[in-house]
Amino acid sequence: MSGDFEPKIVVFACNWCTYAAVDLAGTSRMQYPHNVRVIRVMCSGRVDPQFVLEAFSKGADGVIVAGCHPPADCHYSEGNFKAFRRFTLFRRLLDSLGIERERFRLEWISASEAGKWVQVVNEMVNDLKKLGPLREKLEVR
Amino acid sequence: MHEEPRIGVYICHCGLNIAATVDVKEVAEYAKTLPNVVVARDYVFMCSEPGQNLIKDDIKNLGLNRVVVAACSPSMHEPTFRSAVESAGLNKYLFEMANIREHCSWVHGDRKLATEKAKDLVRMAVAKAALLEPLEEKEFPVYNSVLVLGGGVSGMRAALELARYGFDVYLVERSPTLGGKAALIGHVDLQTRGSDIVNKMIELIRRNSRIHVFTNSELIELKGFAGNYECKIRVYPRYVNERCNSCGECEEVCPIDVANEYDFGLSRRKAIFLPFKSAYPPYYVVDHRICTKCGECTRVCRFNAIDLTEEPKELNLNVGALIIATGYDAYRPLKGEYGHGFHNNIVTLFQLERLLDPEGPTRGELIIGGKVPRSIAFIQCVGSRNTTPNARSYCSRMCCTTAITDAIKIREKYPYVDVYIVYKDIMTYGSDESLYLEAGRRLVRFVKFEEEPPSVVISPEGIFIDLYEYTIQERIRIPVDAVVLSTGMIPRRDLEDVVRVTRVSIGGDGFLREAHLKLAPVESPTKGIFLAGAVTGPKNIMESIRMGSAAAAKAMDLLSKGKVVAEPMIASVNEDICSGCAICVGVCPYDAISIKLVDSDRIAHVEEALCMGCGSCVAACPSGAMQQFGFKDKQVRAQVLAAFG
Repeated sequence: MSGDFEPKIVVFACNWCTYAAVDLAGTSRMQYPHNVRVIRVMCSGRVDPQFVLEAFSKGADGVIVAGCHPPADCHYSEGNFKAFRRFTLFRRLLDSLGIERERFRLEWISASEAGKWVQVVNEMVNDLKKLGPLREKLEVR
Repeated sequence: MHEEPRIGVYICHCGLNIAATVDVKEVAEYAKTLPNVVVARDYVFMCSEPGQNLIKDDIKNLGLNRVVVAACSPSMHEPTFRSAVESAGLNKYLFEMANIREHCSWVHGDRKLATEKAKDLVRMAVAKAALLEPLEEKEFPVYNSVLVLGGGVSGMRAALELARYGFDVYLVERSPTLGGKAALIGHVDLQTRGSDIVNKMIELIRRNSRIHVFTNSELIELKGFAGNYECKIRVYPRYVNERCNSCGECEEVCPIDVANEYDFGLSRRKAIFLPFKSAYPPYYVVDHRICTKCGECTRVCRFNAIDLTEEPKELNLNVGALIIATGYDAYRPLKGEYGHGFHNNIVTLFQLERLLDPEGPTRGELIIGGKVPRSIAFIQCVGSRNTTPNARSYCSRMCCTTAITDAIKIREKYPYVDVYIVYKDIMTYGSDESLYLEAGRRLVRFVKFEEEPPSVVISPEGIFIDLYEYTIQERIRIPVDAVVLSTGMIPRRDLEDVVRVTRVSIGGDGFLREAHLKLAPVESPTKGIFLAGAVTGPKNIMESIRMGSAAAAKAMDLLSKGKVVAEPMIASVNEDICSGCAICVGVCPYDAISIKLVDSDRIAHVEEALCMGCGSCVAACPSGAMQQFGFKDKQVRAQVLAAFG
C-alpha cells in the first residue's frame, strides 16, 4: 500500500448540530486533515442510504453521516433516530458488498463539539490510510 | 421552464482569512472551466456593498440565473447574498454557497491542498446550483392573539409582555387562582418573596383589558398551525360569582373537608374555599371535583353569590401562538424516605415555606409539631441527583438557595435554634453564593455526605440523623427536633394532558423539550408553540420570569409581521409516482402527511403549513415520489458526484 495515499471522505452533516460543529472548528482555528468534503442536509434523517452507496461507487474511501445526539438534540424531534435505524441496517448491507465497516461512520456531534469533529476526522483518516483505497479493492473484483 | 443554467461564481478573499491559505485567483480561474459557469470572479469582501453589486450587475448584464458564492459559512452570510440576488430580480433560492472559510482556509495550513479542497467545494456547489429551482415562500395571515397556558409567574409575565405590545392574551389556568407555586413558596432574595412579585403581577393583569383570564380552565383541543391555531378551552364552574366578599360563612358550614394543597397538606380546607389571601379572582371557589352539592353554602350566603347549578362551558378561541408555562410539581417523598410520613416533625421544604409565610398556617411562626424546635436539620437533594432509589438524576436548582435562605431567616428570628444543612454539594450558583457565605456567618452548620445518603432515625429518645461526614471522614449522629427534606421539582403529573393536546414532546427528564437547548431555548419543536418556566425543567422564580419574557418576545416575533412565511424547503409529492404506501405518513414527526384519495388512487398529501422540512420522508420514500425542495435527491446526488471531479 502506498504511503502517500490520501483518502477522500464525504460527510453528510445535519444543518443544526454537526454542520455548526464543523463551522465552530473553523472559527476556533482547529487544524485537521483536508480529506473531508462536507455536504449540508437539514437533518441526518434526510440522508438516503443510496447517497452513501453512490459516494462509495464514485470514489469515496469513507463516508460519515453525522447529526444531533439522541435522544433529544434533534431539531426535528426524531430524525436522528431515523438515521440510526436506517444506517444500522445499512451496515449489514456494506458487509455483503465487501466494504469494510470502518469506511462508514454514523456520528452524533453537537454544535459545540468541534473537538469531537476533529477527532472523528483524524480517526477516520488514520483508519482509511490503513485500509487503503476502496477503488483498488473494487476494481480487483 | 427549462432554461439553460447560467451560473456566476464569486470567490471571496475575506480579507486574508481565505486568501492567505487558498489561492483565490486559481480557484476563480478553475471555476470558469466548470459546466454552465458564465462568469467567475474573486473579490476582497463579497459581503460588502461593492461585492454584492458585482453579483447584482452580473445578473443584469450577463443574464445569470444561478449564483454561487464561495466564502464563509451559510449560517453567516447566506441571508445577505439571498437578498442581494433577490434585489437583482432573481428568485433567492437560486443561490448556493460554498463554505471555503470555516470548512477550508481556517482549518488547513497547506496552501496547495487547501486550494484543491476549495476547488472541490466550489465544483460541488456549482453542480447543485445548476439543478436549483425557484421556490415560493407562501404567506399566511396570523391571529393577533396568544394563548398562555399556566398562570404562574412565567405565564403571567408572558401575558403582560404580550398585552403591553398590543396582543390579546387568553391566560388559561387550570387551578382556581392565578399565582402558581411562586405565590406559595420561594424567596427571590432575602427581602423579596415570590408572593410579592405574584401580587404585583396579578394587580397589573387585573387592570389590563387585553388579558382575558380563565381560571378553573383547561385546553382541550388545538388545531391548525403557527399563526393560525383554533383552540377550544373548557371552563369549569367556580359556582361562586363576583358578589362574594370573602366573608367565609359558607366555609364554616361546608361538610367536605380535605387536605389543603395550598399549604402542601399542613392544613385542611373545605370544598368551598379561598386558595390564599391574595388569590385572583379574589373570591371563593367550589372545588367541583369534591363538592356533593348539598347546598349548605347557598343557604348561608347572604350575598346570593353561590350558584351550584352552573355547568362547564366550552369556548373556541383563535390564536396565533401558544405559550406553555404550566410549571412543575413538588417532589413528594415516598412514605419512609428519610422518615417522611412517620413523624410529624419531618416536613418538606415546600411545607417549611408555608410555615415561614406570614400568611401561612402558623402566621410565619416556625412551629413544627406544636412548638418551635431547638434544632432543625435540612437534608438536601431529596428526590434529586440520584441520592435515593426514587430520586431523579437532575439537580432541582432552587432547593440549595431556598434552604439556605430559610436557614438564614430562622437564625435571624430564632438565634437559639441550631440549624444544620446536610448536603451533598451546595449549588448556590451566581449571586446566590452570597447567601451561602451569609449562612456561614450566621453559624448555620454545613454537614456533608457523599455517596451514602444520611439516614433519619426515629426513636423514643427523639430524631437523629446518622451519616458518614465526608469532610472529617467520620460517622456522626446529630440529634434534632425537626427535619426539613429539601424536596426538588418534578414534571407535573397532568403534563400528559398538555402533551396529548399540543403534541409537544417530552425530553429525557420528563419535562417538555426545547427545540434546541441553546439555539432555540424557549421554542418547542413545533413552530408557533413556545415554552416558559419550569415546564422545561427546574428553574427558580427569576429564571422563570425571564423565560416568560423571552417566550413572549419569540411569540411577538412570529406574529408582529401580521403574516407567517411557511418554510419553503418542505416536502412535496410527485402524485404520478406515489403509490400510496404510506411509509412517509409514519415517518413524519409532525403529522403533516396523510393519505388522500385522488381519482380513487391513494396518494400521499403533505400539509404544507405543518411540514418543517426535515426530509425524513424523502429518505424513506421507496419510489422517489417524495422530494424536498432545495434538497431533492438529484440535487444532493449532484453534489456527491461532483466531490470526485
